[in-house]
Amino acid sequence: MNGIKILLFGAAADRAGTRETVLPVEEEVALGDLWPVLAGRYPKLAEMQHNLAFAVNGEYARMEDRVSSGDEVAVLPPVSGG
Amino acid sequence: MFAIVEEPIDVGSLIVAAQRPDCGAISTFIGTTRIDESDGARVEHLEYEAYRPMADRKLEEIGAEITERWDVREISIVHRLGRVNPGEPSVAIVVAAPRRGPAFEASRYAIERIKQIVPIWKREVWSDGYMWVGSQTGTRSTPAAK
Repeated sequence: MNGIKILLFGAAADRAGTRETVLPVEEEVALGDLWPVLAGRYPKLAEMQHNLAFAVNGEYARMEDRVSSGDEVAVLPPVSGG
Repeated sequence: MFAIVEEPIDVGSLIVAAQRPDCGAISTFIGTTRIDESDGARVEHLEYEAYRPMADRKLEEIGAEITERWDVREISIVHRLGRVNPGEPSVAIVVAAPRRGPAFEASRYAIERIKQIVPIWKREVWSDGYMWVGSQTGTRSTPAAK
């Protein structure tokens, strides 16, 4: 796959208006570098930035973690199971 | 047993499955759908979604954390997805241990950890719109929803 697959859940999917998208990347980037692209594409999602967590390939990740084409990034609002 | 299911949870069979001759206690926590009311509207049901398989793995991690901390011999955590009607179980935790103290503590720990680390989300579907719990995002227009 060319690019990074972005999955959105719960309120984040609502605000973005989509549950899945792809961000094209040429080379390895920091997870934090993807955020301005996502926020630009989905302004309503940007409003909840400080409440979001991220996962890379199914594990919680930090903004300095590296991602590259083929990775799966999940945008996670505050969890509310139970 | 750790599972995320889309059908009603059979709590009784989980408890029966936890019965063991080396255990003197089975502690259960059952989370059920509560109906709240405000501004003349009420919750009609809850809807759950999960990021899988990460959510499945996080349930197993909680089980591993518990067995590191307490002497428990059996742990089941089952969480439901999709629509859950009023009063129905959305999550069931069953812990069997030789002694009651660890059984109580471990079941409490499990539900608190679920609410911290498992990527599952619920929205309240009200008679006048919906709200994602914890995110203050939804379609309700009443003051309480903002």
